[in-house]
Amino acid sequence: MSIRHRLIVWLLSSVLAGGLLAAGVVFFQARDEANELFDYQLRQLALTLRDRIYMPTQLAEVLQGEEALDFVIQVWARDGTRLYMSHPQLHVPSAVQLGFSAVQTDQGRWRVFAIQQRGLTIQVAQPLSARARLALAAAWRTLIPFLVALPLMGLLIWRLVGRELRFLESTAQDVARRTPESLEPIVGGAIPQEIQPLVAALNGLLGRLGHALAQQRHFIADAAHELRTPLTALRLQLQLAERAQDPADRERAHAMLREGIARATRVVEQLLALARQDPEAPVESEAPVDLAELAKSVAHGEEPAAAARGLTLAAEVAGPALVHGDRDALRALLENLVDNAIRYTPRGQVTVRAGRAERDAFLEVEDTGPGIPAAERARVFDRFYRGEAAPAGGSGLGLAIVRRIAERHRGRVELLDPAEGKGLRVRATLPAA
Amino acid sequence: MRLLLVEDDEMIGAAAREGLRQEGHAVDWVRDGVQAEAAAANGVYDLVLLDLGLPRRGGLAVLRTLRAKGNDLPVLIVTARDAVADRVAGLDAGADDYLVKPFDLDELAARVRAVLRRRAGRSSAVLRVGELEIDTAARRARWKGRDVQLSAREYALLEALADRPGAFLSRAQLEERLYGWDEEVASNAVEVHIHALRRKLDPALIRNVRGLGYSLAKDE
Repeated sequence: MSIRHRLIVWLLSSVLAGGLLAAGVVFFQARDEANELFDYQLRQLALTLRDRIYMPTQLAEVLQGEEALDFVIQVWARDGTRLYMSHPQLHVPSAVQLGFSAVQTDQGRWRVFAIQQRGLTIQVAQPLSARARLALAAAWRTLIPFLVALPLMGLLIWRLVGRELRFLESTAQDVARRTPESLEPIVGGAIPQEIQPLVAALNGLLGRLGHALAQQRHFIADAAHELRTPLTALRLQLQLAERAQDPADRERAHAMLREGIARATRVVEQLLALARQDPEAPVESEAPVDLAELAKSVAHGEEPAAAARGLTLAAEVAGPALVHGDRDALRALLENLVDNAIRYTPRGQVTVRAGRAERDAFLEVEDTGPGIPAAERARVFDRFYRGEAAPAGGSGLGLAIVRRIAERHRGRVELLDPAEGKGLRVRATLPAA
Repeated sequence: MRLLLVEDDEMIGAAAREGLRQEGHAVDWVRDGVQAEAAAANGVYDLVLLDLGLPRRGGLAVLRTLRAKGNDLPVLIVTARDAVADRVAGLDAGADDYLVKPFDLDELAARVRAVLRRRAGRSSAVLRVGELEIDTAARRARWKGRDVQLSAREYALLEALADRPGAFLSRAQLEERLYGWDEEVASNAVEVHIHALRRKLDPALIRNVRGLGYSLAKDE
């Protein structure tokens, strides 16, 4: 139901209800006043008759012409015989009670006044319907202006509301005409005060949407660009393999090709991992995850990779360090850190630590590699950023994934210097369970 | 020809170097802009294959510095940046051609040949010196109308000499054009190839003047 219809129904109903209420009040007031007035008249008539009637024989003469009134006059003798009746055709109350009374007959309710004088009983009666008619007429006169006003008001409201809502219509048309890309804020010449919060909220949403869209686009462009490098390598490696004349050349070309495919696969997997870690998606946690156990498990799993590069990989854990979180995501976080450490460390060792620090739990990976210069530390979390000394095969996404997982767990990632010597210490701090 | 390959990606670099070597070029490979600038300045290269997204110093900056110093070494930009604005910027900075990744080895080789040909003032892929005919695209030589089977090095040597007939190239210059930094060169390698060429073509075709080097006879 439109605002316009709703407003018209409600406003007109209110006006009508007000009119009816006023008419009701007028009706009861008018009836009370009519009662008083007519009772007075009834009484006055009866008194006048009493003063004028002395003898029963005079009756016809005295009451000459009274038949025209809507009062019914009856006179009875002492013995109960009716001496006079102004409207013989009517069936009117005959029961006699002195003073005022209300009597019901088959011709409606009557108001009756009776008085006695020298053996004569004089009764004046009037149908109550006369009074109701009067009151109704008064009420009706009160109601008429309201009824006349109703259609006029309806028209007026229709036009006024329409004019006030024109902004909404024009805005709606403006928004409807938009393409999915046009997310600039809604601007109206004069936005009604009541609609301003809605417009502001919409503009806020459009802004956030635009930002998210731009980020997405940026990410896709970055991703496409990054995929181009491994694809270029694959294409060249494949051509070399095709051209190879002797078995040794072919084997060498195939080895290069395998390496290229492994790298392209890794870039795609990392992109997927990053896309899966939607920062808006809440972390589902059923059972708490023990970071200490995770550290030992990842260290065990990465052992062969470290050994292949001549590095020692050790886990140092004190006690359990529980956090609420997504076990697989946390594992991916730690694997990325260990992977990086192994990749960048030419010799020495990689240490994985987990533990509690005050109200937080942490995961830490320390290596004896070249470290990251302070100037570069802020940028290495950017997607696809690869350090100057970056070895081959990296996707440039590892730390971006690590940071996003940490943020999803309301945690943070820091790049620190090792306690002693050269190298890098990456620490992810998460709220403890 | 001796080429300088500037590429920071290990895999692309390795594959491109391998492919260009198979084409008979000597290839030196550097991985960042600063090394590229230093290498390009030493004057031994016939062409630079330049990536734009380089560590330490961007490819465009390297190119601009090179041109600002008056070095007109042919430069072929090989990059993943495919926006028109990037191409325009690259060409305006003084590049001879622009190749977008991912590219084909054959196309890379063809563009290298085209750039070298244009720089030598030729429009045809075929070099003719007297009875000698060298198809630089197919990398084949014909002597007096018949095909001559040459090894990659022999062909490269012959092409180098045929590029400027009559001009003398020293043994060191020929070695530079035939071999990259990381290739072992036997002390008599050039003599061995010259000998083979004389045997397959005509003993009088290649002259040797002590102290000057080798040259291809202009006529006959």
